Amino acid sequence: MNAAVEIDVKSEAEAFLIAEARLLDAGRFDEWLALFAEDGFYWVPAAPGQSDPLNHLSILYEDKSVLGMRVRRLGHPRVYSAQPAPRTAHLVGNVTAAPGAEPGVDCEVRSTVMMAEYRPGQAADRRLWAGQQTHKLRRTPEGWRIVLKRVDLIDCDAVHGILAVPI
Amino acid sequence: MPDSIAPDALRRLVLPDRVHRSLYTDPAIFDLEMTRIFGRCWLFLAHESQIRAPGDFVRARLGREDVIVVRARDGRIRALVNRCTHRGAQVCQAERGNTAGFACPYHAWTFGLDGALNSVPHRQSLPPDFDLKDPRLALAAVPRVESYRGFVFGSLAPGGESLVEHLGPIAAVIDNVVDRAPDGEIEQAGGVARQEYRGNWKLHHENANDTLHPGFVHESSVSAARGDPRDYAAPAYDGHQTHTQMLSNGFGVREWQSLSLTGFPAGHSYMGGFYRGGVLSPDRDDPVWREYRARLVARHGEEKTARVLGEDRFNNLLYPNVSINAQYQQIRVVTPLAVDRTRVTAFCFRLKGAPEALFHRAVRFLTNLSSPASMILSDDIEIFERVQGGLANSEPEWLDQSRGLGADRTEAGGRTVSAGLSELPHRAQYAAWLRYMTAAA
Ligand code: FES
Ligand SMILES: [Fe+2]
Repeated sequence: MNAAVEIDVKSEAEAFLIAEARLLDAGRFDEWLALFAEDGFYWVPAAPGQSDPLNHLSILYEDKSVLGMRVRRLGHPRVYSAQPAPRTAHLVGNVTAAPGAEPGVDCEVRSTVMMAEYRPGQAADRRLWAGQQTHKLRRTPEGWRIVLKRVDLIDCDAVHGILAVPI
Repeated sequence: MPDSIAPDALRRLVLPDRVHRSLYTDPAIFDLEMTRIFGRCWLFLAHESQIRAPGDFVRARLGREDVIVVRARDGRIRALVNRCTHRGAQVCQAERGNTAGFACPYHAWTFGLDGALNSVPHRQSLPPDFDLKDPRLALAAVPRVESYRGFVFGSLAPGGESLVEHLGPIAAVIDNVVDRAPDGEIEQAGGVARQEYRGNWKLHHENANDTLHPGFVHESSVSAARGDPRDYAAPAYDGHQTHTQMLSNGFGVREWQSLSLTGFPAGHSYMGGFYRGGVLSPDRDDPVWREYRARLVARHGEEKTARVLGEDRFNNLLYPNVSINAQYQQIRVVTPLAVDRTRVTAFCFRLKGAPEALFHRAVRFLTNLSSPASMILSDDIEIFERVQGGLANSEPEWLDQSRGLGADRTEAGGRTVSAGLSELPHRAQYAAWLRYMTAAA
């Protein structure tokens, strides 16, 4: 890949991450879900550097169909843990893009993500979730699709309260 | 120590059909619970697989005490209070590990795995009668530590009933989880999930055997799962287990009522199992399960295997601090931090000799139920916090627990049994609570 193409892919990837973050912040979870490939996974490990989602618990490890249930649940009128709906502000930065290293992945994007969250109501929590994220992306006629989104939180193994919305 | 609440005053707060709000909100009652329940009862501390070799240790909380559960060179397990006998610094920061001893970071007093003070620097500046062997200079040890089939419990009371006496018939759930291992041994594996909520510790235990709430509290999960008709025969990364776990809370009233609830005088309780679908069902039949079952038959024979696998009790509460689900190899430890703050620590077990895929199901169960992002427990926790918020009001003073009252049957040994929609477990827990709280020292 020559330098100009690389810059192109990088800015394209950056735009993708920003668009994704905006969907999450707007609570447009259906559209966010649609960004995943049919064989896509969303993974938030529960241990630093976790390599295995089967032999170790995760905060989240979901294929598109389970993620679909999560998204449908968030649209339910009585999803108590997300009521009132949490408000979030994502910030994505330090983006780098590299060609995909495995079949079905065209591009691997690394970035740092921060999500400020405010849960109105009983708890009135203000929280900051932060970590490194990796998006493995596939190019399709409809645009990029997520094959794997992995978020490695700096406090993935800490004591947490409820995490009601995707990061 | 706040031994100031008279037994009669406590008795006025707990009636068969209701309990007083101060049980959830009054710091003086919480202090007394820490003395009379968590300061005396047998509390789960650790599983022996976490401290297999000499020098292995794992931190635990015993009532108010921060303790190090450690295996000494002679193989004996002790629980040592994490507090240097010099100026009070914690001698251990790691949650778990292996060590030759405990060296205090402040002035380098060093303690052995048995808690004995081994050395102090600049000995010549200490008085001539300073004696390293003085027991007051050793790390304080929890007076009683006992294991039941690998489950380590501790009690801060120097005397009283033995662990086996305290557990009584609820020990069957420990037998059951161990008997499910084809090699006869289980080990903690797959990580530890920890969560905190802003509510009283008792809210967790009441809720665990409350069969009326799932249809309401978990309605959003049930509905999301129902809107997802799937083919259980098709391959899925989680064997469709997440779907089953969400769907199972959608039992109808008649189905919940058909389960039985059992309570014990010591405060323990359990309910009948209710996971009915796919890989969680008691009568599951898939390749992993068939392989596992065959290995278990090789150990126990057909008859005992059927009995062991047929045990389908859910949320076995070993009062006051631990809840076990043998059939899914799950354990949840409940630690009161303050009158309105509680920590829940959950982990799972690997059944030695079972197919690896069976362990993956236990890990999946743990993630689904105990992760901060759980689509099930998160709603329970939200409700605990709303209850705690509601109880901050001074009126009304009472919480009702009369559901099913009058239909409880008392059986041999004082065990009470009822159909599923009863608040029997609440009543069993509070009868025991009152007994512990009013018992003489
Ligand atoms: S406080 Fe531990 S050595 Fe001084
Ligand atoms: Fe629940």
